[in-house]
Parts: sequence; C-alpha cells; structure tokens
Amino acid sequence: MLIPRRVKHRKQHHPGRSGAATGGTTIAFGDFGVQALEPAYVTNRQIESARIAMTRHMKRGGKVWINIYPDRPLTKKPAETRMGSGKGSPEWWIANIKPGRVMFEVSGVPESVAREAMRLAMHKLPMKCRFVRREGGDF
Amino acid sequence: MAETKLVAETRTQFGKGAARKIRRAHNIPAVLYGHGTAPVHITLPGHSTMMALKTANALLEIEIDGTVQLALAKDIQRDPIRPVIEHVDLVVVRRGEKVSVDVNVHTEGEAAPETVVTVDSQTVELLVLATNIPENVVVSVEGLVAGTQILASALELPEGAELVTDPETLVVNITAQVTAEALEAELAEAEAEAGIEKDEPESADGEGAEGDDAAKGEAADEA
Repeated sequence: MLIPRRVKHRKQHHPGRSGAATGGTTIAFGDFGVQALEPAYVTNRQIESARIAMTRHMKRGGKVWINIYPDRPLTKKPAETRMGSGKGSPEWWIANIKPGRVMFEVSGVPESVAREAMRLAMHKLPMKCRFVRREGGDF
Repeated sequence: MAETKLVAETRTQFGKGAARKIRRAHNIPAVLYGHGTAPVHITLPGHSTMMALKTANALLEIEIDGTVQLALAKDIQRDPIRPVIEHVDLVVVRRGEKVSVDVNVHTEGEAAPETVVTVDSQTVELLVLATNIPENVVVSVEGLVAGTQILASALELPEGAELVTDPETLVVNITAQVTAEALEAELAEAEAEAGIEKDEPESADGEGAEGDDAAKGEAADEA
C-alpha cells in the first residue's frame, strides 16, 4: 500500500477542499483515465482497492498508472475521549483530490475493457468520477 | 492539413470581467502574436473554434477586420470539468515557414502474443512546413517481440519532416506480460496487505490487518 517513508510533520492540519485541480487534469501516460468530479480525501486503502479492481478485470493485458499519492496524514481521537489533551494519533494517509484531477490511467487494452475496469475502480472511490479518453489519441 | 477559417473580432475591453462576458456569449477570448508583431486581442466564435481545435495542430485562418492571417494554437486553456475552452493563444505563421510542433504517435498492428505495447512518448516534436503538418506519426508494432524498443531515431517520419526530439528518446516499448501466477500472487499479497477479503464478511482478521497498517504508518512517521 502507498505510504510515505518519512514525513516532516506527523500531525498536519486538514488539507483545504475548495477549488478545482490546477494540474494533472489531462491524461499524461495512458489512453484512458478516471477523472474526479468532486473534491474528496482518497485513502491509500481506496487507491489500492481501485488498482486491484482494475488489474483483476484487465488480467494480464494493459498497464495501470496511479497519478495520486496519499501524502497527508489524518488523525483521530480514540472513542469515548474527552475533548482536549492534544491532537489524536495519525490514523489514515490520504490524497487531497480536487475536481478535474485524473487519478488513474490505463493503456494497452480496448476501450470496452478499460471502461469496465474503471467502472469497477470508481465504485472503490469516495467521489463521483468519470471515464476520460486521451485527446487526439488512437481511439 | 486543411485550413479552418474563423472570423474574429478585436477586443477593446480586458480583464476577467470582460473575458467572462465574452464566455457568457459562447465566444472564446484569444490572443494572436508572433513574428515580432504586437499582440492582438481577439474574440473567436465558440463552437467553430472548439470544433477546429479538436484536430491536433490545426492550422487556422483568422480573419480580423478583413485581413486574413494563418495561425497555430500554441496554448489552449480548458476548464478541467466542463468541455469549455477558456482561452486560446495563437501564434502567427506564414506559408512556406517551418514550425516546430508536437505530433501524436499512433501504433498500428498486433505485437507478438503475450506482450504489452506501451507508448512511452505520446508525442514527438517535428520541424515541418506550417501548411503541411502531419496528423500523426505511425509506428508499426506488427509481430514485434518482448524486449523491442523503438527509439525516436527509428521512426518513419513524413516527407519533409525533421526530428527535433532527442533521437535516443524511447517512443514505444514492448514488454512481456506478467505470468498469470505472478499476477495472482501479487494481487493476493496486495489484498492481504490492504485487508481486502472476498466472499466473506469482515472478521477479526480484517480488523487486525487494519491495526497493522496503522501501526506501520506510525512506524514510518517516526523513522
């Protein structure tokens, strides 16, 4: 699972969720992609789950790129704890995704296979997404 | 490549307010520059510009107040969500002039069985006549076996085109497919690490796996 090897600050503020993606909004490596349509925090487990779903469907053909990285820690206080006494302990690693961001890309498979693989992957993600194709590509 | 004619109007008002007003009227604010001329701020018709720019490296014939200029789109700003063009930078070109453009790489044919064809460089930069820009560079992968690498220097370029990209750039890479056993083992390991269980409700094992991940995360922080 994707996890930073070391970080400068263990407990960070929650990342801002406003605005749209300013980079990574087009397909860079593959032929097809999954684009976020809503802001969301995507955990490393969700990223891995989506990757496994895509790879299982595409079987041995094709290649998958993950364009996002869960480099922000989120903390959580234990259950039944009173407020105060400092910030909770790191619980999740998340990628802060803004609308427009292309999160996954695939190549080497026909469009029908890519569509179905990405449909399965979208079910693992916490926001509305859409299937996108490379502009000026072969398809 | 055929030239697409667009009738433009010069702009007199600038800034985001004026640009938004133009976009509300289904037009596109644009700027035209190049060859040492002063930049000309123009308004392009929305739909026909969008249709013209669907073709990569489209050569445009821009008519401004009766004068016609040839131009290429240098930069296109698009809305990340909606299929809307927000602004276009156009660069003036002349007939007979050579321009440097990024041309898409297109693969054709079927590689040998048990291989994966990956296009590592989706575009290559070519120096071509402005009036004769190729739509794509075709690479045949018919029957190629795993381990074959096609470099930019090995591409069959259209007539009159010169390669600008580094000749040693990898364009197409053909690799062997992973074996079914190796793929299954990798996925099973990944599922176990992520605590994904199939055909069974979440059990104590799943919670244990989650705890392990959290502990691993903390260990990584402290390292």
